[in-house]
Amino acid sequence: MNELIPLMVIVPLISALIISAFSKFNKVTKIFALIVAVCLPLIPLLSNYGLHYFGGYQPILDNVTNVVYHPAITYSFTFLQQVFIAMIGILTFLVVFVYLTKYRKVSGPYLFLLFLGTAAVTAMLLTDDIFHMFVFFEILALAQVGIVAASSIDYSYEMALKYMILGSIGSPIMLLGIGFLLAITGSVNVTDIAAAVHNGLVDIKSPVFLASLGLIFFGWLYASGFPPFHTIKSGIYSKAEPHGAALLQSFTVVSMISIVLIMIRIYSSLPIFEVFIVFFSILAMILGVSLALTQTDFRRMIGFLAVGELGFIGLGIGLGTQFAITAGLFQALNEIVITALLFIGFGAIVEATNEVDTRKLGGLLAYHPKVSLMLLLGGLAMAGVPPFNGFQSKLMLVQASLSCGFPELSILAIMVSIATFVVFVKTFYVMFLRPKPNDLEVEGKEVPRSMVFAMGILLIIILALGLFPDMVVNGISNFVGGIL
Amino acid sequence: MKLYDQIFDVVKQFKKLFSPGPVTNADVSGSLTAEMFLIVSLILSAILLRHINILLAGIVTLILAVVLISSIPLIPKFKLEQEDSLEKMLFYAVLTLSIIVVFLYWGGNLV
Repeated sequence: MNELIPLMVIVPLISALIISAFSKFNKVTKIFALIVAVCLPLIPLLSNYGLHYFGGYQPILDNVTNVVYHPAITYSFTFLQQVFIAMIGILTFLVVFVYLTKYRKVSGPYLFLLFLGTAAVTAMLLTDDIFHMFVFFEILALAQVGIVAASSIDYSYEMALKYMILGSIGSPIMLLGIGFLLAITGSVNVTDIAAAVHNGLVDIKSPVFLASLGLIFFGWLYASGFPPFHTIKSGIYSKAEPHGAALLQSFTVVSMISIVLIMIRIYSSLPIFEVFIVFFSILAMILGVSLALTQTDFRRMIGFLAVGELGFIGLGIGLGTQFAITAGLFQALNEIVITALLFIGFGAIVEATNEVDTRKLGGLLAYHPKVSLMLLLGGLAMAGVPPFNGFQSKLMLVQASLSCGFPELSILAIMVSIATFVVFVKTFYVMFLRPKPNDLEVEGKEVPRSMVFAMGILLIIILALGLFPDMVVNGISNFVGGIL
Repeated sequence: MKLYDQIFDVVKQFKKLFSPGPVTNADVSGSLTAEMFLIVSLILSAILLRHINILLAGIVTLILAVVLISSIPLIPKFKLEQEDSLEKMLFYAVLTLSIIVVFLYWGGNLV
């Protein structure tokens, strides 16, 4: 059923508009949002792999040069897109479910932003058109700003505004890079651009081509939250509602891999491209984990850890081999699930205590044993402890860097994992194990059941991916083999 | 003894890092871990320069090790630069863009 391919974007997009327009009917809005949220992971699972040409414009074969041109905006749906879109769908469902059960009167504009963001990242994953990707990248940035600004946390407006100001630098620079590519290839279709580059129609040493790489790369740094944008990225996670932050980090990971997969197809013949990715990945890992170790606000701590984990994804992609890129993409999938679990879990603690400062917390194991156990398991998964999924992907990354002749990177990856483990041991101790401070009030405050349910589902996925990694690794490896 | 005093001073400086508010053992041990992690990981990353030139890697690693160890505590300075100030974020964004452009201009010859 290839007709379902465009519906993966159209359904959340139209639903977002409908919910926003009819949000005054509270009960109907809730039921409709829940039905759409259930449908989101099902559509990619029911759809067949293939291509969708918008407007029905099929590719054109130039008989003189024997080159195929793609006049239509093309959506390409393979195993990689299926697994990531389904995972985003599951997360959106869980986040919407947590939101709907939390508030008696729901906000239409907030649900609009959640569905709009989901539609945008889905389009970014599917599209084979670099300008189309940019348009949805901009829509996603606005949705992210809205989700942060809509939260009731102090200074959320300020952080959202800062993110928007920095975006006003990152986005136009990326657009300029896309413009340079259009100028030298005459196309915005990624397949056509890649064909022009690999067939020698474009001089890869030309300053315009190199400049396009630099500009798009800078935009990618902004989208991914790599340094120098790591501070603002962790900031927006900490100022969003916990369920919103869970979805925001998944948007970041998916937009990061969507853009980098396009860049790999166009710029893989330039060795400096891989050097750049590895350099910024190392920087993200070091900065993310160092700063996480010094945080006293546990939401900010998870934000910095999420940035550090992005470094692992970049490391795999930067190494450039089929095995390494597969490991990087598998790490991306794992990070989406693990970080969402942690954001929701720590959000549950905020619900129960109204406190985010680890220095003022303690003794919570006795009051919330289920949440603390699931948080501990999530933390172990992020640190790369077997048998969880984080262990599988990080082991693959260590093996990949060793086989590429970079033992330093393997040691660094292991060190970052150990430091992540230290962050969790420290945080778990101060929040759950040490004696409860006298002035901390936790009696009678329950963690919402919907949050425990969401954490349980995510934990099952973490365990399943850890015990049976071949479920996704083989398919991702085949996809990577196809683009290299 | 000078190095010992310097390390002891690090713990005292961490107090300022967490002010206002109490400083717990866990916070100080976390910051010390961050300090050591930062130094070791930066030195380890410098060894990667051996893929360009072994002598360069050796010199840079040694110089970096001396500079980093002699300027501890790094984390308070480091954290100060990574705060939520828009000016600093914009400064580092523009700096990174400049570095990328410069490297691409010169790196174009290495393609």
